[in-house]
Amino acid sequence: MVAEDLIKALEGGDLSIEEVPYQQRGYWFDIKAPKDRIVEVAEAIDERGYYIEDVLCVDYVDRLEVLYHFNHWEDPRRLSVRVEVAPSEPELPSIWRVYPGAAWHEREIHEFFGLRFKDHPNLAYLFLHEGIDFYPMRKERVEVSEEDRRLLNYLPAAAEEDTFWINMGPQHPSTHGVLRLILKMRGEYIEQAEPVLGYMHRMQEKMAEVRTYQQYYPNTARLDYVGPLAFSLCFVGAMERLCELEVPERAQYIRTITLELNRISSHLLWLGTFLLDLGATTPYFFAFDDREQILDLLEGLTGSRLTFSYYRIGGLYEDLNDGFLEGVKRFVERMWKRFEIYDDLVTGNIIFVKRTKDVGVIPKEVARRYGATGPTLRGSGVPFDIRQAEPYAAYGDLQPEVVVGERGDSYDRYLVRLEEMKRSLRVLEEALEKVPEGPYKLEKVPKKPVPGDVYFATESPRGEVGIYIVSDGSDKPYRLKWRSPCFSNLATFTEAVKGQLIADAVATLGSLDLVIPEMDR
Amino acid sequence: MRRWLREQFDRYFGSDPVRLLFALGGLFFATLVVLALLYWVVGKVVTAGLEAWGWDLVRLLLGLLGVMVVVFGNALFLVWAERKVAGHMQIRIGPKEVGPYGLLQSIADSVKLLAKEIITPRFVDRPLYLLAPLLIFVPCLVAMVVIPFDARLQVRDINVGIVMILAFSSLTVLAIFMAGWGSVNKYSLIGGVRSISQSIAYEIPMLLSILPVVMMARSLSLKEVVEAQSPYWFVLVQPVAFLIYFVCAVAETNRTPFDLPEAESELVAGYHTEYSGMRFSLFFLAEYTNIFIVCALATTFFLGGYKGPVLPGVVWFFLKTYALIFVIMWFRWTFPRVRFDQLLNFSWKFLIPLAMANLLVTGGLLKL
Repeated sequence: MVAEDLIKALEGGDLSIEEVPYQQRGYWFDIKAPKDRIVEVAEAIDERGYYIEDVLCVDYVDRLEVLYHFNHWEDPRRLSVRVEVAPSEPELPSIWRVYPGAAWHEREIHEFFGLRFKDHPNLAYLFLHEGIDFYPMRKERVEVSEEDRRLLNYLPAAAEEDTFWINMGPQHPSTHGVLRLILKMRGEYIEQAEPVLGYMHRMQEKMAEVRTYQQYYPNTARLDYVGPLAFSLCFVGAMERLCELEVPERAQYIRTITLELNRISSHLLWLGTFLLDLGATTPYFFAFDDREQILDLLEGLTGSRLTFSYYRIGGLYEDLNDGFLEGVKRFVERMWKRFEIYDDLVTGNIIFVKRTKDVGVIPKEVARRYGATGPTLRGSGVPFDIRQAEPYAAYGDLQPEVVVGERGDSYDRYLVRLEEMKRSLRVLEEALEKVPEGPYKLEKVPKKPVPGDVYFATESPRGEVGIYIVSDGSDKPYRLKWRSPCFSNLATFTEAVKGQLIADAVATLGSLDLVIPEMDR
Repeated sequence: MRRWLREQFDRYFGSDPVRLLFALGGLFFATLVVLALLYWVVGKVVTAGLEAWGWDLVRLLLGLLGVMVVVFGNALFLVWAERKVAGHMQIRIGPKEVGPYGLLQSIADSVKLLAKEIITPRFVDRPLYLLAPLLIFVPCLVAMVVIPFDARLQVRDINVGIVMILAFSSLTVLAIFMAGWGSVNKYSLIGGVRSISQSIAYEIPMLLSILPVVMMARSLSLKEVVEAQSPYWFVLVQPVAFLIYFVCAVAETNRTPFDLPEAESELVAGYHTEYSGMRFSLFFLAEYTNIFIVCALATTFFLGGYKGPVLPGVVWFFLKTYALIFVIMWFRWTFPRVRFDQLLNFSWKFLIPLAMANLLVTGGLLKL
């Protein structure tokens, strides 16, 4: 196995490797490395084909701990590499040369914790605005250093001869929200693309630290407003793992049904907006018509149409209402027929095919080093899905088939998402048959979890969403970190659009299916 | 009474969108016929009277007035029609609040546009920026002058009418580029540049597709082209030329799938990003007038113009033109936008050779 091979290679010296119980912690191996060996460790991990999930930092006052999460497509056992840094000397070698996807994560840590990464190409602020004068995620107030202050106002270098910068966003029709892209253009060809995030940044992670778990819960639905249930479930699932709760079977099945409905609705919204980006306005209305059916169903169940707060730690807010299952059945029947319309209108359309084929190609290797997940990754031909790798809710029984593309271009990503909707319908059909009777929630749920840390991952419509919670035994999380799928998927964008036309950039961006609030957190 | 009417309407057209579409289509053509008949009667009276008295100048002025009425009436109608067509293609209804079937919607919209503040950004190239919306309108008016709406309903029958229309329609691109350059905005500039290369690429096949028609009609006057189509329409003998012309017409008017100069999702609004209020609506007006003109020309060149049985010529003319306009709208609401290099390749590598071959074959056959 890959993990054993890696451990054998790393063992010895000043590294300590510990196998941890997955059921309680959410990861399998805890590797503690000294900070000057981190690049070497990353290289060894990279050699064995791990992809980067997340890089995060926890401030324990007496020490800063940087955690690197890696996972493997074929051997999905999560590694957590942990490096301790003294707050008096906050410096660490950057691993961006091994994993370019780590560069953005390191920038994020740098601005939130004041941890400098040596040998980093660009430590400019990613999320925060120029008015900030302390490192917000530190437990004690630490003023921004002179050196960092200069990084606040990041501007790209002046354009060379024959090139010019074009600023796409934050107000632009096809960035769907407030993403900003700085494009270096040569005529209509893109030489370099630099995404600028943070226009939607709300300090979700700091907010979590000042709220109790129950108070923070509604926020989880505000991250990804298109597929909020996957995020809610991620939080709830992490808490259940931390408190070691056994959730009733009925609740798990209802969760699966709602999650899949939400996935279809999210893909439908994507379908509409993606084609809007390509200049076709009509599919948008068809997709939204279908999405409306799902929203109506979910509204009847949860009371809201967008930011559902339906799950609870240990179960659900309420049992199914009358007619929900019949409604879902009706919807599934209706939806099967609708794909013909989409195929007629879009899939076979020569203009559409020409616009998306071989556009924005993300090779497997790029996807791995940047940590792309979800349909973006599967479009590149990797059959990796958290629903299979680490089944949660009722996915243990209702395994959806994984859809993969071939070339990793925008067209494949389109096909994967379209096919995924069909597979989701199959899961729904199966789940509707199997929903068991019984309680829908646990009677008693602890308010305070035990101290410890936990990782939980779910497959959101956009990719793997992960949550890492450090609990100190109080009713508020000590540290909570989201692993946002769009964040990593967007990082591949810079590679995918090099040398392409501005129209291709729009198509690629659309095919990545970004939701900005989730990325900015 | 109204209630009864409504009930009847619901009974026949109620919830079925296809039927409703047919009903709307019927209504659309009915209004068209009525309007055209009115126009025809007035035109007949005026032209007959004037010809008797020989007031040439007055006739010209009246003709221009008529052209303006057609331009504005057409734009108002097309805005409404496009929104209705779009609505029904997109499983919605479209405008319905202002007036019956929302017919007055475009009037309400133009009042809104008139009342809007006209913003001039500080760093624009003022003369170019201000002139562009006016200039874009000139070619439309000029082209209208030579279009034969009926055998006797034409402002001026110039013997080089086709050349004049083609010459003036190339001016549109100049105005678009002035807008793109004068706005001092990168998106506008890209829109302007795209517009130029698109216009060059598509004017050639357009011209090449009209030439066979000219060869067959042996005249450059639009009226004589129509008269030459007496046993059969040219579309029957020149189907390839018609298709090429129609594709080029869509490209020339910057409509989806060739709406690259104003590609919304790429260039915000392209060359008219920085225009607001009435200036913006002038671009809009020019766009709809251009659509009308290219379709009117297609009717004239290929579909027998005002020729047709039973109904008066002007009715036939408008029927044919608006049917073509409907097709263009249909394109817009079904297709995505093509990419820029594909657009140019399509013209240079496919349309132009095809048009050339067609021209050669036509020439050869005529010589035989």
